Amino acid sequence: MNPVSRGIRNAFRNNVRTASIVLILGLSIGLSLTMLVAQKAVDNKIKSVKSAIGNTIDIMPAGFNPGSQANNALTTDTLASVKTVAHVSSLTETLDDRLSTTGSEQPTFSFGRGDNNGSTTSLTSPVKINISSDGTGANKGYRVFIDGGGSLPTNFTPPISFLGTTNPGEVNGSSIAIKSGKSISGGADTNDALVSTDMASKNSLSVGSTFTAYSTTLTVAGIFDSGSQGNNNTVIVSLPALQRLSGQAGDITSAVATVDSLDNLSAATTAIKNKLGSDADVTSAQDQADNTVKPLNSVKTVTTFSLIGAVAAGAVIILLVMVMVVRERKREIGVIKAIGGSNLRIMSEFMVESLTLAVLGAVIGLFIGVIGGQPVTNALVSNSQDSANAQIQAPGGGNVPIMRPDGAIRTRSFGGQFGNRLRRSGAVQGLSNIHTQIGWGILLDGFGAAVVIAVLGSALSAGMISKVRPSTVMRTE
Amino acid sequence: MLEATNLVKKFQSGDTTVTAASDITLSVPDGQFVSIVGRSGSGKSTLLSLLGALDKPTSGSIVVGGQDVTTMRDHQLIGYRGKSIGFVFQNYNLVPSLTALENVMLPMEFAKVPKPERIERATQLLEEVGLEPDQMHRKPGRLSGGQQQRVAIARALANKPKLILADEPTGNLDTTTGKKIFDLLHALSRKENTTIVVVTHDLEIAGKTDKTFHLEDGKLVKK
Repeated sequence: MNPVSRGIRNAFRNNVRTASIVLILGLSIGLSLTMLVAQKAVDNKIKSVKSAIGNTIDIMPAGFNPGSQANNALTTDTLASVKTVAHVSSLTETLDDRLSTTGSEQPTFSFGRGDNNGSTTSLTSPVKINISSDGTGANKGYRVFIDGGGSLPTNFTPPISFLGTTNPGEVNGSSIAIKSGKSISGGADTNDALVSTDMASKNSLSVGSTFTAYSTTLTVAGIFDSGSQGNNNTVIVSLPALQRLSGQAGDITSAVATVDSLDNLSAATTAIKNKLGSDADVTSAQDQADNTVKPLNSVKTVTTFSLIGAVAAGAVIILLVMVMVVRERKREIGVIKAIGGSNLRIMSEFMVESLTLAVLGAVIGLFIGVIGGQPVTNALVSNSQDSANAQIQAPGGGNVPIMRPDGAIRTRSFGGQFGNRLRRSGAVQGLSNIHTQIGWGILLDGFGAAVVIAVLGSALSAGMISKVRPSTVMRTE
Repeated sequence: MLEATNLVKKFQSGDTTVTAASDITLSVPDGQFVSIVGRSGSGKSTLLSLLGALDKPTSGSIVVGGQDVTTMRDHQLIGYRGKSIGFVFQNYNLVPSLTALENVMLPMEFAKVPKPERIERATQLLEEVGLEPDQMHRKPGRLSGGQQQRVAIARALANKPKLILADEPTGNLDTTTGKKIFDLLHALSRKENTTIVVVTHDLEIAGKTDKTFHLEDGKLVKK
């Protein structure tokens, strides 16, 4: 019988004790595995959130939010310095506006432009609103709140968004596909426009057709599809064109700087913040991601410490058990040494005994890990869910008072594109929806932990074994 | 030939130094059956520990078959004990998790004897000491004291040692069984030409050995 089989047999000398030790070890290893599973799941989530964000930086007027009473205007001149920042590969500047259809009636409600000198457009919105002001109608769950109460005007049509942009290939951060015609140049001040397929269909437009806006005739250069009803209610023109048409020379609503690599995102953000100072709020996707995953990082820290604690607890349990066993078998160790057994052989037996207990514990621990991994992860993450959601709240569409450089205050409408990147990515919606996976890697880690526990736990007993003198055997009990 | 010269063994007990063996010189020719007698605490077991290389003397030398045991290092002593010395203890000291057969095979395993040979030799020895075949596969807990001591004797003989040291081998046995065990030891020593040193306080048993050494307060005395 070799030391391995003797070690295994020794582990079962006292079945009640073995069962108790294995159960306690199983709980310890199970907790270790649960923490490991939770840690890996959270880690994967953090990585997916970060990888879904991209290397862009949002630039908005300082204090820009729907609730504020006044905001500073952001201008093309102000942003010129951003283009010179190291690692900024491109800068997309946009100006948002909304126009009502000529001849339609608009209630005074909380979206739409407030003071554009009565400019209108000949276009009719393709968006259908089947809601009434009193909550009746097809979609009675939705209501339009009208200042002072009352009903929607009978000839009401939704206002149409006009987007002036230096990058006509995107609407509110989403790429568009040109279905017919061609795109326009974002930097050229022309009266060319892009309309959506829905808009073209609703207004019987084709490439080369004309329509009016701001009392000016615009020509359809291309027809696009953005894939969303909201974005399809947008007319795209170049930034200089909208600045001229809307009488907002030099103004922009927002800008997005793209950095050449994710590694340079943080440095470029800091550089832009330094350039713009108090004129703008500069938020990188990295900042948003960091804020978003902050609660998950806390969970990760908790799981790491719990993992270390659980492994240490398992090691201490084995250590105490093995110390107790060595003390109990001191005479037997002496006998084995007296009849020719070496320290190494005896230590091997005890190591195998310790390993047997740890591996049995690991099997039980594995079941606990499989069963407990998901619920424990959910419990740990659920506490951070609300704060995580709070981190990704961003302004929706609406009117914002803007203070122009000349001191005049006017209202600016916006499409609520800021902060949408995270929400669009889908990574954030699933922040609390973390799925655990137990693969071979985790199983091996679990058994690895068992081996570590066994080795650490039997280290002290090995030292004790080496000190047992064979003459111990001569002493009678 | 076993030769011990000027053996001294001192222990530290708190602030006091206890001399368990004091200037002991003795020699035992090969194949002799000798006994060491003395009162409890006279140093009999200490002397046996020194002769069996279980402990190192404070001074003096022990030469067995021309080899000075006291100069050996720990790892050499392990091999020496395994191959050259057999031990029989008062309380048997069998490994409780192993069967009688496995207990006898254990010293041979340490001496790297091939397994088939181990099984054959162990079975033969257990038959010689009078163990029934069904008892060979029992663990010590299911054997009587006499049967356990027979297994211990078989284990001591496993590697055909030159020297067997027995510490009160009949101390835990009734008179009849004790006599049988003693006779067994005697017979085997004759058969295997093994030198046997028995520690006992039973003067009747001591009287049957080839030579008796008397110990008093750690010193060898003539009577």
